[in-house]
Amino acid sequence: MTLPRSVTIAAYASFVAALMLLPLVVSDPFWLNRFAKYCVYGILGVSIALSWGYAGVLNLGQGLFFGLGAYMIAMSLKLASATSLQQGSTTPLPDFMLWNSEPGAVTDLCCINKGSFLWIPFQWQWFGVAMGLALPTLVAGILGAVIFRKRIAGVFVSIITLALVLLVRLVLIDAQPITNGFNGLTDLGWFTVAGFEFDPYVTPTYYLVAVSLSVVLIGARLLVETRAGLILQAIRDDENRARYLGFDVPAYQIFFFCVSALIAGFAGMLYVLAAEFASPTFMDLTFSITMVVWAAVGGRSSILGACIGAMLINTIEASMSESATFMEAWKVVIGLMFILVVLYLPRGIAGVVKDGIGRLLGRRAVAAAPVVAAGE
Amino acid sequence: MVDTLFIGLSLGSILLLVALGLTITYGAMGVINMAHGEMVMIGAYTTVLSGIYLGANLLVAMPIAFVISAGLGWAIEKVLVRRLYGRLIDTLLATWGVALVLQQAVRLEFGLSFLGIHVEGLGPGLQNVDVPDFLRGTITILGTEVNGYRAFIILVTVVMTAVTWLIMNRTPIGMQVRAVMRNRSMAAACGIDVARVNALTFAYGSGLAGIAGVMMSGFKTVFPDMGAPMVVDGFMVVVVGGVGSLLGAVAASGLLGEINGLVAAVTNDILARAVVFGTVIVVIVLMPRGLFSFKGR
Repeated sequence: MTLPRSVTIAAYASFVAALMLLPLVVSDPFWLNRFAKYCVYGILGVSIALSWGYAGVLNLGQGLFFGLGAYMIAMSLKLASATSLQQGSTTPLPDFMLWNSEPGAVTDLCCINKGSFLWIPFQWQWFGVAMGLALPTLVAGILGAVIFRKRIAGVFVSIITLALVLLVRLVLIDAQPITNGFNGLTDLGWFTVAGFEFDPYVTPTYYLVAVSLSVVLIGARLLVETRAGLILQAIRDDENRARYLGFDVPAYQIFFFCVSALIAGFAGMLYVLAAEFASPTFMDLTFSITMVVWAAVGGRSSILGACIGAMLINTIEASMSESATFMEAWKVVIGLMFILVVLYLPRGIAGVVKDGIGRLLGRRAVAAAPVVAAGE
Repeated sequence: MVDTLFIGLSLGSILLLVALGLTITYGAMGVINMAHGEMVMIGAYTTVLSGIYLGANLLVAMPIAFVISAGLGWAIEKVLVRRLYGRLIDTLLATWGVALVLQQAVRLEFGLSFLGIHVEGLGPGLQNVDVPDFLRGTITILGTEVNGYRAFIILVTVVMTAVTWLIMNRTPIGMQVRAVMRNRSMAAACGIDVARVNALTFAYGSGLAGIAGVMMSGFKTVFPDMGAPMVVDGFMVVVVGGVGSLLGAVAASGLLGEINGLVAAVTNDILARAVVFGTVIVVIVLMPRGLFSFKGR
């Protein structure tokens, strides 16, 4: 914020350039697929920074939106898989529905079990895509309207979002006949655009994710610079003052809450393309908090920082996961890193980098941007 | 019907046992201690280890677990939490880090597993604790046979709640804690050593979690990740009851426990938990200050 604009532009440009050039360095399809997943985590980082850093709303249930997006597209891709198409009925039929069907049930999507008709429109892939974007936004809109109109703030928002994600997770598991419960949706088909199939292990899929990340990143950065974005930051810093100045506080909060959810849902969809499954673990408590960790380490009030934090932690984690013991030890490192970041680097990596650049430019250290106190 | 209500009551008492410590740490100190569940876990492992190495049963493990987890809580307050007062969300994040470290400490057997040393009773596997003979079997209350151990849990919860109430309301230190709860700076101005009160409160809250862990070990499998869901449940009880209110925590845990028990009796455990989460959301939305809240200044 206090850095010259050229520095910010340079930072974003070089990040995007690095994303685009990565396939030149990494040719192993396995690693390229992994980086595609990390780009998805980067998008999640952006969504967290937007709601936490800029709106001051610590959402501990971001996994809900991610999971909803993931399930919506996964339903479509499940119906497009070879096994679903070869179940001997006129409509494609997910294999798990057939396994669990009652004897004598009609083997058709309309009525193999009570809820299976919900799957019918998902035969059209673009319906899945549209729902993957619309459903998280809609849920966030309703949730945000309730929370922000009632002026619930701080840690209570966190508890509500947390309870909601756990609730939906349980309902999802309980609705076993239509969601395949704990097992989630696996054995998916490929996302297809105009005859081109996005095999997760080819370069175009990486580019699909990387370009999406770049668009989301720059879009979010531009969004917070708009008038609405500035008002949002004013609300974050002093909600009452913004209210007395005549701004419709909840409207701005709801809008950005929805945008954050939309981005998370989008991330969920891309994740399914790269990882080829959707499971209730997306809505685990741990996953939602882990996202917050990424953003905190990268810099909660910096969109690029949160994005890089997410990608960096996952890349290091992947290189650690060569052996099981290392993996366990790595969790200790994550835990310690988290404690140290909260204690000594509340602005995360982005804060350190900003200060460093500020010094290099011969200015006084960039005036400490207020640590976002989302609580109290 | 009585047995369903009894199951709800015992579920509620377990919730209360976990939430009791949180009511104090969160209510009095404004610290969201995500490592609280790990204190429960440590209490449970204390039972496992004292069973293996001391041949001690559950009852003997209770004071040991209290001392160990209280000491650990005291250390966490001294090293970490005291730097974070007034930064509510940051306490949540930092103690989540502590929780990870504690889980891994148990899973990696304090790092000994790197050296190829295995400590029996630790490690990533599942542990079980045998309930002493006199708590096994069933007892008859109101003409209904109920599980003896569940009845014992309810008894322990009642005792711990009573003790906590007495400490808070009938002792000098309790009065200081309540003063700090109401107004931290004013309490300091009146000569209360706020830092000391904070450390003691945090230690006591953690100690309660340790005892909850001992009780937990009697009917649940003990493993390194067992604490995480508990801390969430505990927080929901605290928030629904009203931050800092002991009475609220009792009422909320009773309410949520009974809802859980009744819905589970009609449908299944998964839906029952979902309904509990739904209730929590509705209560927070309708009454953001919780069922019972006092006015802080």
